[in-house]
Amino acid sequence: MDYFATVLISSLSSASILLIATLGLAVVFGLMGVINLAHGEFIMMGAYSALTATQLGIPFILAIPVAVLVTMIFGALVEIIIIRRLYGRLFDTMLATWGLSLALYQGAVLIFGSVSPGIGMPQINFNVGDYTLAAYPIFMILVAVVMLAGIYVLLTRTVYGMKARAAIQVPDMARAIGIDSARTNTLTFAIGCGLAGFAGAILLPIVPATPSMGFAFVIKAFLTVVIAGPVTLAGSALAAIGVGTGASIVASFMTSVAGDLFFFILTVVLLRLYPLGVSAKWRMKL
Amino acid sequence: MKHNLTTAEKIHGSIGISAPAIAVVIALGISGLLDPYLAYVASLWVIYGLLGMSLDLVWGRGGVLSLGQTAFYGLGGYFGSVVAINFSDLTGNSLIWALPTGAVCGALSAAVIGYLIFYARTGPLQTTILTYTFTILLWTLSQSFKITIGEAKIGGDNGMANIPGMILAFGKDAAALEPNAMFATVVVISAVIYFAVRMLMSGPFGRVIDCIRIDGEKTELLGYDIRKYQLQNFMIAGAIAGIAGALFAAWSNYLNPSIFSVQEALMVPIYVLVGGAGTLSGAFIGSVLIGGLSFWLGGGAISGQTTLILGLVLIVLVVFLKNGILGALNSLWLRFLPDRNRAVNSIKPVTIDASVVENILADAEIAAGPPKSLETKNATKAFGGVIPVNNVSLKFEPGLPHSVIGPNGAGKSSFLKVCVGMYPPDSGDVLLGGENVSHSPIFQCVAKGLGVKNQKPQVFGELSIFENLWTAAFSMTRDKNKANQIANQILTMLGMHEQGNVEASALSHGQQQWLDIGMVLCLTPRTILFDEPAAGMTNEETRELSHLVRILAKKTTVLVVEHDMEFVRTLEGMVTVLHQGAFFAKGDIVKLRADDRVLDIYLGRRAHVQSI
Repeated sequence: MDYFATVLISSLSSASILLIATLGLAVVFGLMGVINLAHGEFIMMGAYSALTATQLGIPFILAIPVAVLVTMIFGALVEIIIIRRLYGRLFDTMLATWGLSLALYQGAVLIFGSVSPGIGMPQINFNVGDYTLAAYPIFMILVAVVMLAGIYVLLTRTVYGMKARAAIQVPDMARAIGIDSARTNTLTFAIGCGLAGFAGAILLPIVPATPSMGFAFVIKAFLTVVIAGPVTLAGSALAAIGVGTGASIVASFMTSVAGDLFFFILTVVLLRLYPLGVSAKWRMKL
Repeated sequence: MKHNLTTAEKIHGSIGISAPAIAVVIALGISGLLDPYLAYVASLWVIYGLLGMSLDLVWGRGGVLSLGQTAFYGLGGYFGSVVAINFSDLTGNSLIWALPTGAVCGALSAAVIGYLIFYARTGPLQTTILTYTFTILLWTLSQSFKITIGEAKIGGDNGMANIPGMILAFGKDAAALEPNAMFATVVVISAVIYFAVRMLMSGPFGRVIDCIRIDGEKTELLGYDIRKYQLQNFMIAGAIAGIAGALFAAWSNYLNPSIFSVQEALMVPIYVLVGGAGTLSGAFIGSVLIGGLSFWLGGGAISGQTTLILGLVLIVLVVFLKNGILGALNSLWLRFLPDRNRAVNSIKPVTIDASVVENILADAEIAAGPPKSLETKNATKAFGGVIPVNNVSLKFEPGLPHSVIGPNGAGKSSFLKVCVGMYPPDSGDVLLGGENVSHSPIFQCVAKGLGVKNQKPQVFGELSIFENLWTAAFSMTRDKNKANQIANQILTMLGMHEQGNVEASALSHGQQQWLDIGMVLCLTPRTILFDEPAAGMTNEETRELSHLVRILAKKTTVLVVEHDMEFVRTLEGMVTVLHQGAFFAKGDIVKLRADDRVLDIYLGRRAHVQSI
């Protein structure tokens, strides 16, 4: 019983980690209709930014905003230099961000080498019956909830959020009432990248920074967005928690590859039932 | 019909065969003279070209970006090698084992993925992501996957060694080919595949694939089972990728999981983009060019920065170079050719000759049988709280044209979509010639004799006028000559027989409407549905259209949804009024014009609207 509870809690925390890693991707997809194939590398960039910051003596808690800032600025540049030229060209956008993904990966290998030190974090543990659980991964459940709430507030209660949602729903009308959709999109993309950077930084104690860490997130994060469909925020949360928990339960009994395989197969089954994602027929918009 | 091409235009048209043929001859000619190391490396470029072509088939022609071609390539390589390791001792020749296995394996894995993508009708984004994650999944899976099958040992990260090289000769003493002979062999195999694919793609199959890329919905409305075509195309591409993988394994004698890696996958779209998407041969140009360039610069070795540079190259290619080398050369060449669309200005206004149309209809009746009635029984379609089609029971028969009218939001277009199968009814039935087609897919309804023209003209802009008509005619006849004959008849009826070679995109809006109507007639439909056909037409064109509809109605069931009351009046047929999704009134236009209740709903007068 304790064992089962342990598995459930740690699986829920894995699902939360997945959600944290996916939200940036989901926001960009939901508000711009663009899939950023370099999303994993933005997570990597966030992780390295936070790592470098802590190595320079900045406390970890302050290294996180540094990582967010770095990835946001880089994301804004990418949007202005590349993405903006490719509006309405879905495949080209994916190819360009894919090229970016590999360039960033190789750039990280050149700069940081292929292995890097972890960061020293005090280990806090607690017990469930006979089993010991690390506190930090469990804390991620709370982080995921706060992130979700934060994005929801950002998109529904701020002027930017209103503009961004207007720009994606009826782009022409949005322009007609004076919304500068190009600027809104730059900001949206930067926020998506900043969320990825946040994920990389906050997960640093659990997922050490390596150049290839982005690829580790690729399968689950992208499939989560595909399962979620058009209602990205609620859909991603549901998909990450539903399928992600299942996959990590499988992974904890078997191997992590089996977890990935399970995730892929479940996606296939879900897509057969909901070709455009589970949220395709929902009434809600976020 | 010959469309009087100049010699220069003929050379341009056949360049996809002549230039590759010359390239193959040259490659074979120099294959013996090359430095063995260069021949060895160049074999790989050609193999990559083959892999690139498989993507071009799916993406450049099919319009679906697959990042999973290296998955099929790797699977073809692994399975082909397993069979070759175990059986090539029996025959000596290794390729007769590796290549067919690679092809079958590639095609089957593509079938599984393709079935999901095309039959679940996922969107383009989902397609790309699924193929990409499939590749990465295989990458991670293969790193820990260990199995021994007979003599073959797949060792996870350690890969699979001892893969027999390319052995052509038979018998026990047969030895693997030397690099120069291997290069020649790879060139011949690739050439055979290229020309076979080119032949397929310039025939009806390729035409349908092109149409699906341009406008999938219209292609289905022409009666093609587009999912089947897409799946077949995907499988062919998978088979080619599988063959390329088996060739690669024989080339390197060794395979490891890096064949599934993202770095490997990245190269494929680059080859296609450099050469020019949609050209098939472009992928070879891209791979030879990039391979040659890196050979010349750095001996072809994979250095630390390669991935970084190639990643940036991909971005630059996508942003700046849209059509690749072949595309750029083609637009340059086209400047020196007479304008293909030069004849468009001399198209005369359409005049419908009753005897011509009646002849066409008589032929159609011989080919496709008697006209069919269209009937709905209690058909209902709801979207949430809105019920655009509410319990509608109507029957339409040949003889006189039928019109469906009603104020905005009356459910006219939705009713039409229910009849066609675009919106399967929630309850009730749709009967075509007495046969229940309520839940038949669109292409089956069309095959059973339904012809549909949507409100917006739907023509395949990149194809010529004649090709547009031919594609429609071929759907029903499945016979090239008969399709030629029908398409020419309709072409002449539209007064465009001098302009058959003009691209459909060069036509004006009204001309495109006529071409679309012509395509519907090429289907030899037994029941015809027109959604606002007169929209955007001039008065003269509307008059001719009315004339055409009246002739058509004598031999087929014709149903017109229309806003233009004057047009409806000239049809002199039966008129059905829909209101708020439900049947409201029926009769001839004179009677309805005098009906107070009809006037009420059109004018929004309150008393009667509320009582419905």
